[in-house]
Amino acid sequence: MTTARPQLPPEFIAAHKRRRMIDAMAELCAEQGYEATKIADVVRRAHVARKTLYDNFSGKEELFLAAFDSAVAEADAVVAEACEPIAAAEWEERTEAGLRALLEYAAAHPAQARLCLVEAPAASASSSARYDVAVDTYIERLRVAAPSGVGRPATLVEALVGGTLWIVQRHVRRGGAEDAVDLLPELLEFVISPYRSVGKR
Amino acid sequence: MAQFDDQMDRLPRGRHGLSPEFVARNQRERLIAALILTLDEVGYQKTTVSMIGQRAAVSKSDFYKHFESKDDCFLAAYDYAIEELRSAVLDACAAAEAEEWPVRVRAGIGAMLGLLAAEPPLASILLAEGLRAGRGIYDRYQAAVEGFVPLLRRGAPDPPGGPEVPAATDEAVVGGIASLLSRRTIAGEAASLAALTPDVLEFALTPHLGTEAARRIISAG
Repeated sequence: MTTARPQLPPEFIAAHKRRRMIDAMAELCAEQGYEATKIADVVRRAHVARKTLYDNFSGKEELFLAAFDSAVAEADAVVAEACEPIAAAEWEERTEAGLRALLEYAAAHPAQARLCLVEAPAASASSSARYDVAVDTYIERLRVAAPSGVGRPATLVEALVGGTLWIVQRHVRRGGAEDAVDLLPELLEFVISPYRSVGKR
Repeated sequence: MAQFDDQMDRLPRGRHGLSPEFVARNQRERLIAALILTLDEVGYQKTTVSMIGQRAAVSKSDFYKHFESKDDCFLAAYDYAIEELRSAVLDACAAAEAEEWPVRVRAGIGAMLGLLAAEPPLASILLAEGLRAGRGIYDRYQAAVEGFVPLLRRGAPDPPGGPEVPAATDEAVVGGIASLLSRRTIAGEAASLAALTPDVLEFALTPHLGTEAARRIISAG
C-alpha cells in the first residue's frame, strides 16, 4: 500500500487541461455567444491558469478554432463509423445512417453543435472560412454516396448539403440541439427525393 | 460594376446649388456604393473608413455625420444590397403575376441570378465578404434568405398524387440555393452565376412538380 498521490504523466495532465479549455469555450459560447465570451471566463470555467491558456493558444480566436476543429473531427468520426460499413450501393441507407449519426452527435453535444453551426459561420473571418471547409467534406461525402450518371446537375449535392445544414443550423439556433434527431425524416426525404424518379436502386 | 460606378461620379465638386438635404442623402448613397466596391476589391478586414471616404469623395468628418463607424456603414450597405436584390426579384415576380407558379419562380430566380452576375460586388457583399463580417451581418443574411421562402411557396402546387410539400422542404431549398450561390461567389465565380439558372430552377421546382415536369418547364424557357 502506498500513501503517495498517484503521479499522472505530465502529457496526460496537459492534454486534459487543453480539453477542459476547449470544452469551456464551447459551453460559454453556447451560453452567451462568441463575442461576449472573454478569456477570463474560459480560465475560470476550465480551472486553469491564464498562463496555461496562453501557453496553448494565442488567444480567444485560436481557442475557438481549436474547439471547432475538435467537434468537427468527433462528428466526422461518428458519421464515418455509421455509414462506412454499409455497402456503397445502398446509398439511401448509407445516407440515412450518416445523417442520423450527425444529428445524434449534435443532440448529445448541444454546446458543440451550437459552436459549429451557429457561432462558427459568423464569429470571425477565419472561423467562417473554416466552416466552409467543413461543409466541403460533407459535400464530398454525398457526392460519393449519391447515384451518379443519372443526369442530375453537378450542383445538386452542394445545394442539398447547404440546405440540410441550413435547417439544422436554424433548429439549433432557435431551440437547441437536444431534439435534432426529430429532423431526420424530413431531411432524409429532402436529400433522397431529387434522385428518386431516375435513381431507383 | 456599372450601377455602382455611376453613383460615384454623381456630384461634381464645388458649387452646385443643391440643397444640403440632397447633398447629404447623396453623400450617404455614395458612401454605401463606395463601401460595396472597396469591399469587393480588398475584403472586409482591409476596408477602412478613409478608403471608403476617398472613393466617394466624402471627407472623413462628413463620413461620421452619416455613420458611426465602418461597421455601421457596413450594415447600411448590407441592407441596401438586400433591398436591391429583393426588389429585383419582386419586380420580376410581379411582372409574371398572371402566369402559373413555375413561370413566376423562373422569373424570380432568373432576376436574382441575373442581377448578381451583372453586379459581382453586390454578390460579394451579400454572399461572400459580407458573411465574414460578424454576427450582425450574418443575422441579416439569414433573415433575408428566410424572407424568400414565402415568395417561393406562394401558389406552389403539391406534387401529383403525393403528400403536401412541408414548409421545411422549401426552407431547405432556399437555404440550399443561398449556400450554393455563396460558395460560388466565394470561389470568385459571381460573374457566371447566371449560368446556374437551370440547375437552381430545377432544384426549386422539383419538390412540387417532380423532376420530369420541372425539366419540361426549364427546357421550354
